[in-house]
Amino acid sequence: MNGKPVNFDLERPATAETDEQLMVAFSRGSTDAFGQLFLRYKQPLFGFFRRRVADPAQAEELTQDTFFAVVRSSSRYEPRALFRTYLYAIAYKIFRAYRRKTALRATFFGAETGSRAPALQSPSDAELWLRQAVAKLERLDREILLLREFEQLSYAEIADLLQLPLNTVRSRLFRARMALRDLLATPAPKSSPTKLAEREEYV
Amino acid sequence: MNSVTHPVFPERIMALLDGELSAAEARVVSTHLDTCAECAHLAERLRTTSQLLSAWRIPDIPGTVEESVADLVDKTRSGLKTGLAALPLRLSRLTWGRRAILGAVAVLLVALTLALQTLSIFRHAEVSAYRAGSPQDQVEENRGSIGKLSRPLNERQLPVSGRQITKLNELVTATSPGVAADSNGLYHGLGDHAESSISVDGQPLTDQQSKIFTSLIQAPMIARTVSFSIVVKDFAASRSSLDAILARHHAYPAQLGVSTPENAPRSLQASLRFPAPELTSALRDLRTLGRVENESQGGEEVTRQHVDLAIRLKNARDTEQRFRSILQRHTGNVVEVLQVEEGIARVRSDIERMEAEQTTLEHRVDFATIDLQLTEEYKAPLNPPAASVSTRMHNAFVAGYHNASETVIGIVLFLEEYGPAILIWLIIFVLPAILVWRRYQRKIAAV
Repeated sequence: MNGKPVNFDLERPATAETDEQLMVAFSRGSTDAFGQLFLRYKQPLFGFFRRRVADPAQAEELTQDTFFAVVRSSSRYEPRALFRTYLYAIAYKIFRAYRRKTALRATFFGAETGSRAPALQSPSDAELWLRQAVAKLERLDREILLLREFEQLSYAEIADLLQLPLNTVRSRLFRARMALRDLLATPAPKSSPTKLAEREEYV
Repeated sequence: MNSVTHPVFPERIMALLDGELSAAEARVVSTHLDTCAECAHLAERLRTTSQLLSAWRIPDIPGTVEESVADLVDKTRSGLKTGLAALPLRLSRLTWGRRAILGAVAVLLVALTLALQTLSIFRHAEVSAYRAGSPQDQVEENRGSIGKLSRPLNERQLPVSGRQITKLNELVTATSPGVAADSNGLYHGLGDHAESSISVDGQPLTDQQSKIFTSLIQAPMIARTVSFSIVVKDFAASRSSLDAILARHHAYPAQLGVSTPENAPRSLQASLRFPAPELTSALRDLRTLGRVENESQGGEEVTRQHVDLAIRLKNARDTEQRFRSILQRHTGNVVEVLQVEEGIARVRSDIERMEAEQTTLEHRVDFATIDLQLTEEYKAPLNPPAASVSTRMHNAFVAGYHNASETVIGIVLFLEEYGPAILIWLIIFVLPAILVWRRYQRKIAAV
């Protein structure tokens, strides 16, 4: 232990150690191990929240909260499951808490739930078209689809995370994919990015 | 698509594409896909959907996240406490478990505060009760509970009924330490000595009261009462012992009643009067009768009442004397004589009433009252069965029927009585709750 500030060396080549080994090493005090984990999961985790939350700044904060939670609970970590599953379980829990809090605030104080993102980036037409289509899915179907397509979780991991039977996950995923295929069968709108952003429905 | 023409369910085709099938299952589904154009088309549609979704790209995460996380890890590595200490305390970030612990700690603190206040009040009440005239027995019994507070008072060793106290200072309650009589031997309630006044029962004395008090009172007058509840094994023997105790201590029963119900323990309730000096030894004897279930003692100081009564009595006698002097020295018309005689009669009546009160008061002091309850230890007699099994079953059935019908009637009556009110409250609370819940669901779906 020294007083030197921690700086994750993102340029450092990735090690061959598994996520679980790195997490165990971090729980024993290795900061470098956490740097590697951060390097591996910062973007997927940000994507997890960015696809579900309208506000990019909020997605950033939720990502940060998830890593905070991992750091805080590192002393209690036991490698009984994949670290990826563990991480997304924490992220999903934080997301649900955020969703509840936001919905409650909106219910009683009338705050905006689908606050629009500041126009920092101008997403492509295809991307907005995808977002709109995914947003039209039923909430649970959408969640299963996103966890499978983007977080690459297995059916069993999704079932465990959402507390659902495995067959339910499979049938809902199939239904979501079919519904999405139908939604995407219509051609992408030709509007300008600005107009699209106004109609944008975040998931 | 059905299971007859397509032996493979479409979900299994999807599972094959997702790599969720075992090798054997994957072979079966792959074989079917090679031969079935419709299923192959479905697989192609699923693949296309996934490919389309892959176009949904997310911009890179800002670097501020890395800085914040690195800062937290740095604090962790430096040995600083992470978690609540490292982050601002936000209730929304606390888990339900931590919230419950925080709530429990808060409740515990409130309960502790209340308990301390109650204890303080209790101690204050104990000391006050003691100062009001605790007899020697009570001093001894309370020594353990009051601790240091009882010791200085105990050292005074006040006699219970001997009225042999020589220092008047010990009879009064001083509101400030160092209070003494003035040069004339009088205790002043107000006036020159107002700042260090003395009192009996918290009330200031007048000069006249003080003078009479000094002449009349030699000891605190305490009317003692004791309450006893004793369970005895042999009721008849205990009754005999009680009579013997009464005779030995020159006591008498002011009231006594015996109850001997069938199939129930016998009991005796009595109000006994013991000479005050005999009280301690009488209590000792009474405790030997059986197992003491309950015992409480009390003492009421009647010194002030007695002093007041003595003063009023003396004034009344003086008045009577003056009336008699007037009657002897002055002669007037018949009306005036009659008025004086009426006055004498009225004052005489007051004097006799006050003398009776005084006698009663002194009797209460001279004779302590013991409220005694003797109860026999009940032993159930071995009786033969009251009824046959069939009769008992019949009775049980009838009782069960009555209970069931009473329950149904009770429910109906309850609904009749409270149903409309419950309905109104449901309308008042449930409908808004449903509306809020629906709004919440809409909002949560929009997040």
